[in-house]
Amino acid sequence: MKKLSVVLISLVICLLIAASTVRSASSPPKFQFLGIAPEDEKYYESSEFIKCKDGSKKFTKAQLNDNFCDCVDGTDEPGTSACPNGRFYCRNKGHVPQVLFSSRVNDGICDCCDGSDEYDNKVTCPNTCWEAGKAARDKLKRKIATYQEGVTIRKQEVERAKAVTAKDEAELSKLQSEEKTLKGLVQQLKERKEQIEKAEEKERLRKEKEEKEKREAEEKRKAELEAKQENGEGVTKADDEYKTIESKDDDKIGSLEGSPSDQDTMEDHDALAAEHIPSDASGNEQPSSLHDVEVHPAKEIEESAAISESGLDVGSKVSPEELVNTGNDVSETTEGLSKEELGRLVASRWTGEDTRKQTEKVDEKDNDLEDNEGTEEMPDDTHDHEDDGYASETDDEHHRYDDDIVEDVEENYKEDPLDSSSSYKYESDTESDSSDESSPSSSSWLEKIQQKVRNILQAVNLFQTPVNQSDAARIRKEYDDSSAKLSKIQGRISSLTQKLKHDFGPDKEFYSLYDQCYESKQNKRWDKFEDSYRVMVFSNGDKCWNGPDRSLKVKLRCGLENEVTDVDEPSRCEYVALLSTPALCHEEKLKELQHKLDLMNKEQPQSHDEL
Amino acid sequence: MKTQMMRNLTLLLLLAFVLCSSVLSWKKEEFRTCNQTPFCKRARARKPGYSSLSAREIRIENGDLKANLIPTQNHENPEDQHASKPLILTLSVYQDGIVRLKIDEDPNLDPPKKRFEVPYVIVEEFDQTKLWLQTHSTEVDPSSSSSSSVVYLSDGYEAVLRHDPFEVYVREKGGKSVISLNSHGLFDFEQLKVKKQNGDENWEERFRGHTDTRPFGPQSISFDVSFYGADFVYGIPEHATSLALKPTRGPGVEESEPYRLFSLDVFEYLHESPFGLYGSIPFMISHGERTSGFFWLNAAEMQIDVLASGWDAESGISLPSSQSRVDTFWMSEAGVVDTFFFVGPGPKDVVRQYTGVTGRPAMPQLFATGYHQCRWNYRDEEDVEDVDSKFDEHDIPYDVLWLDIDHTIGRKYFTWDRALFPHPEEMQRKLFAKGRHMVAIVDAHIKRDDSYFVHKEATQKGYYVKDANGNDFEGWCWPGSSSYLDVLNPEIRSWFAEKFSIENYVGSTPSLYIWNDMNEPSVFNGPEITMPRDALHQGGVEHREVHNAYGYYFHMATSDGLLKRGDEKDRPFVLSRAFFAGSQRVGAVWTGDNTAEWEHLRVSVPMILTLGLTGISFSGADIGGFFGSPETKLKRNTELIRDAIHMRYTLLPYFYTLFREANTSGVPVARPLWMEFPSDKATFSNDEAFMVGNSLLVQGIYTEGSTTHKLEATEETVPAFQRSGTIIPRKDRFRRSSTQMVNDPYTLVIALNSSQKAEGEVYIDDGKSFAFTQGAYIHRRFVYADGKLTSLNVAPAALGGAQFSSECVIERIIVLGHSGVPKRALIEPEEKTAEIELGPLDLKLGLGSDFITIRKPNLPVAGDWTIKIV
Repeated sequence: MKKLSVVLISLVICLLIAASTVRSASSPPKFQFLGIAPEDEKYYESSEFIKCKDGSKKFTKAQLNDNFCDCVDGTDEPGTSACPNGRFYCRNKGHVPQVLFSSRVNDGICDCCDGSDEYDNKVTCPNTCWEAGKAARDKLKRKIATYQEGVTIRKQEVERAKAVTAKDEAELSKLQSEEKTLKGLVQQLKERKEQIEKAEEKERLRKEKEEKEKREAEEKRKAELEAKQENGEGVTKADDEYKTIESKDDDKIGSLEGSPSDQDTMEDHDALAAEHIPSDASGNEQPSSLHDVEVHPAKEIEESAAISESGLDVGSKVSPEELVNTGNDVSETTEGLSKEELGRLVASRWTGEDTRKQTEKVDEKDNDLEDNEGTEEMPDDTHDHEDDGYASETDDEHHRYDDDIVEDVEENYKEDPLDSSSSYKYESDTESDSSDESSPSSSSWLEKIQQKVRNILQAVNLFQTPVNQSDAARIRKEYDDSSAKLSKIQGRISSLTQKLKHDFGPDKEFYSLYDQCYESKQNKRWDKFEDSYRVMVFSNGDKCWNGPDRSLKVKLRCGLENEVTDVDEPSRCEYVALLSTPALCHEEKLKELQHKLDLMNKEQPQSHDEL
Repeated sequence: MKTQMMRNLTLLLLLAFVLCSSVLSWKKEEFRTCNQTPFCKRARARKPGYSSLSAREIRIENGDLKANLIPTQNHENPEDQHASKPLILTLSVYQDGIVRLKIDEDPNLDPPKKRFEVPYVIVEEFDQTKLWLQTHSTEVDPSSSSSSSVVYLSDGYEAVLRHDPFEVYVREKGGKSVISLNSHGLFDFEQLKVKKQNGDENWEERFRGHTDTRPFGPQSISFDVSFYGADFVYGIPEHATSLALKPTRGPGVEESEPYRLFSLDVFEYLHESPFGLYGSIPFMISHGERTSGFFWLNAAEMQIDVLASGWDAESGISLPSSQSRVDTFWMSEAGVVDTFFFVGPGPKDVVRQYTGVTGRPAMPQLFATGYHQCRWNYRDEEDVEDVDSKFDEHDIPYDVLWLDIDHTIGRKYFTWDRALFPHPEEMQRKLFAKGRHMVAIVDAHIKRDDSYFVHKEATQKGYYVKDANGNDFEGWCWPGSSSYLDVLNPEIRSWFAEKFSIENYVGSTPSLYIWNDMNEPSVFNGPEITMPRDALHQGGVEHREVHNAYGYYFHMATSDGLLKRGDEKDRPFVLSRAFFAGSQRVGAVWTGDNTAEWEHLRVSVPMILTLGLTGISFSGADIGGFFGSPETKLKRNTELIRDAIHMRYTLLPYFYTLFREANTSGVPVARPLWMEFPSDKATFSNDEAFMVGNSLLVQGIYTEGSTTHKLEATEETVPAFQRSGTIIPRKDRFRRSSTQMVNDPYTLVIALNSSQKAEGEVYIDDGKSFAFTQGAYIHRRFVYADGKLTSLNVAPAALGGAQFSSECVIERIIVLGHSGVPKRALIEPEEKTAEIELGPLDLKLGLGSDFITIRKPNLPVAGDWTIKIV
């Protein structure tokens, strides 16, 4: 008896062990609750009748997971494949829980790492959650590290952006008020200038009248010496008029140059025109009408040859009708091509490529490949394409200790927003010959001008006739200078307004990307952000052969520096690039990741010690 | 017609929007018109009554009726000197109402060579159905005193040979005509000649810089064929045109090109054109008050006129006017007269008779009936993996991923560009682990590259088609300079087939299947983008004689290769662009490089219906279009595509049952309405709607934003209707691919007719092997009557003892149009009950609650049972 009891005890122990192993491995819920997320279990426990989540129907507890679909939304069959819209939850202890389409349940393929999606004994799915989980955890840790640093960079970035924006905005508002003042001054100067000119005109007319009278008087007397004096004055007047016109022209040019948006658009047009694919190879768009002219006579002969047949149709002639028909055909030049050229030409219709280029490419590729055969060299751009944000992990890690690079980048950021605008400013300023090169941030120049103008205006006595020549010249000069200044300010205002109008994200975190170029910048048109600032869309590129207009989506990922990590063409002429940037390192996301890691570590069975 | 609305199937056919006017890029001038084709131009110029041949020396020989065709002396026709030697006419009759008529030069009169007869098209079994004639009777028409020889056919039909002028026709015994040949006296047969030394004859033909030497002179054949009791004629693919063939000549016809049968690689083909495309099947069906068919086994260029009523008004020839009639005119550049008359009388009878001669459609593997994903091209393994995983991500099932030419090294087929595809086996195995298959392309051209093993062997063995001078023919295609295997020769086909073995095709696995493209053959620098007609095949056969069948032989060699690879246990899947009569036995075809335009979507329906009528029941069109790019409103469209593909997958059990029906009877899966409703005249020229099997009617939507027949249907839906009185088997669980659906339970959808009855079938086998030919399959008929649904076995007792079993059950029975209030269902013989509730018809959309659903009857699909609604 004793022996037996020992056996019994050991059996019980074994059973206990087995039970506990099972529980610790996956602790499967009651079958009825299979496929239900823990936080959802309450919903199913609530009462005897359970509502379909879409409210369409009710079902009994017995109908829960009874392998027959009662709710169109799949509420009653979370653990079977019966409902087409169902979702299956696997706990995946040691890894992350997963929600599957219920079409994956019992389909003979192990989807959950805990194997819970395959329970009809047709296949055995080993529990691989721990191994998979470890890799995922490591990955997650690396990602968190990146995010931690990224969040800091992003914060600096945002602060900087705020500062720069504030600065830009302050500058803008100051410029706007300066513009207002200056406009007033210019207006005043203009009025005064016009008054002077009117006075001058009056003076001139008066003088002319006087001259006339004098002349008439002189005629009666002697007239040689006075005539010389009169000529000298005329020249001076003409000179002045010329100057006025010139300065007006300057204004116009200045305002044209001062609009960067216009300029960009023009550049785009140029680039598009230059990029336009030659279409004569495919022959689709532009049948070479020039060649047609050469072809026709040859074709007519050929056609009549085809029709005549010895013994039967000898002597029959091509009817004029046929000739007309042939003449109307839009045709490619195939005449005079060698057999090979003809073959290449026809092939190019499908590929849309230039005939010569295409075949060379094939040959080249051919040769290259044969050379490489056996060595199995792989191109070194094996980037991870996962959508889960793990994508540029390796890169991140690689760069995060690379302080030099980071610093470089930071320095760039400091300069960048200013750089682009200031360079513009200096450029335009050097062109002008005005002497007061104080920065626009100091407003003393404006005060000076104001003071100067006030002085001038006070000094110049309008009602003094004749007009003091030097006063008039001063007014004109001041007017010219001030209006040149004004147009410069207006240019700067418009460029700042344009810049501030751009969408730089909710925290202006993309501010530092303004005017930046990563790898090769295409002449596509920036369109918009998508997917809550995770994707940048460039659309309406040029037409693609046998495809849509070219477009580019830039997917943004959290990374420690701004860099393009991958470019792909998932669909014809639709490009996708990956850009890592600290702008995407959100604090909330970091918290989420940390929470995720905590969860994963919490599920960790005792037996496994990770560290 | 009686149909019951089932629901709006969101069987989205295409997301195409008109993109650009690419129709203009069709290179019309590169292809010959009838006027530029001497034999066509000559034949068309002839007037009715031209033929002067009369049948003499009528006799029975080897069970056939034979006669000599001799020019009538008193008939003066300057053109018919070439017909001076008598021709031999042979008329044979076969079971199931088939008459075969052959006319050839007399081999005893020393012709320059034997004219080409197309081999490997007629199935051996057909020869065994020949009825050996013992006698014939002679009758004299009292009104015209012309005499005829009559032989009894079968089922009350007779074949008649009128003597002078000769005419052959089939008629109901002593009554109405069915089909006739040479009733209008347009028969002409140009006999072979040999070029005389110093002769001034020059038979060369030139077209666009290409010269055809034509060493045997003109050798064309032409004749008229009339179909009686016919309103329309159909068939003779491949043309991008309407199902009912429009007249090409006669009163009211402006377009004057005949329908051309000359397999060509046509860049950006037009819709609504009689121009010949990638494949050619010289088989025509007529339908009206009866159905009949006519097949001319001839692989040379053919031109066929459909003649508008009244075309012969001035000819003085009067045929019986009590019957409606369609006259046609057939012209071929070479070959012999080897024609078949099919008496019908119904549409399904004619396709059965035709496929009795050329073979029944092969039974496809189950996976091949699923959704296929293809694009030119997938760049590399990573791309393949990405596309594959995207399908799972979006919960869209698919079964096959396709690789186009650029997966190879320089377009040398059977090779892998290892820089892009370093692990082809692993790639295929990964897909197969999800129950998915892969298809790789093997085109008809062989790159002339001394380091390429296929080229090396083919050159050494002399396996290439030769040019007119006897050297290996060289043309230009995708790889550059290329040659073409002489697949007319069975030895060469067999050699080529070996290349598909797992051992020879490095990087292939058993889950890899094949796609043949460019097999018309396409030769970029050849006349009309194909091989010169004077190129030479083995046995002195000129390419002109075999052209239309070339692609078929290439397809056949590939299919044989896969058959050998699988030790004849795995059904081959080979898709081909070129085809000929008989192609249905070796694989599937598609409609080539179409364009992403509504018009091409529209024309794909009659194109596929026509293929089905001519035996090829397994065909398809590039749904998104090959050229151009359909506009994508991506998100919405992804949803629509998923719904449409899910719908397709739920119907797979029904489709598979229909493929089996095609496999046994030739009746196609997709059918013209008139095939199911043969006496409803309104259906005869309708090719917007069609039937899938006998139970589903599909109305296509072919324009953006259109509403049709007062239905609420837009381009986002394709309304489909289940015919009342039918039962459709479905599998309503969605999986990644058809492979995972094998064990899933069935849903039966019963649409009752006005007398509360319905019938349907389900066919199940292992989905891949040939065991079904030994009887290893389940074939059940479901009959609903008197409130009871009964499952009956219709499979014959297993032949070779082979068995197929399935544990699948029926999880749901949906009954439409049930009158009365049912309470529950009683299952016999077990006396179990199953609940009944008002249920949704469709789980995905949750439409309608007017139907009753029997919940979880869990009846074995393979068993005998009855379930009664009480």
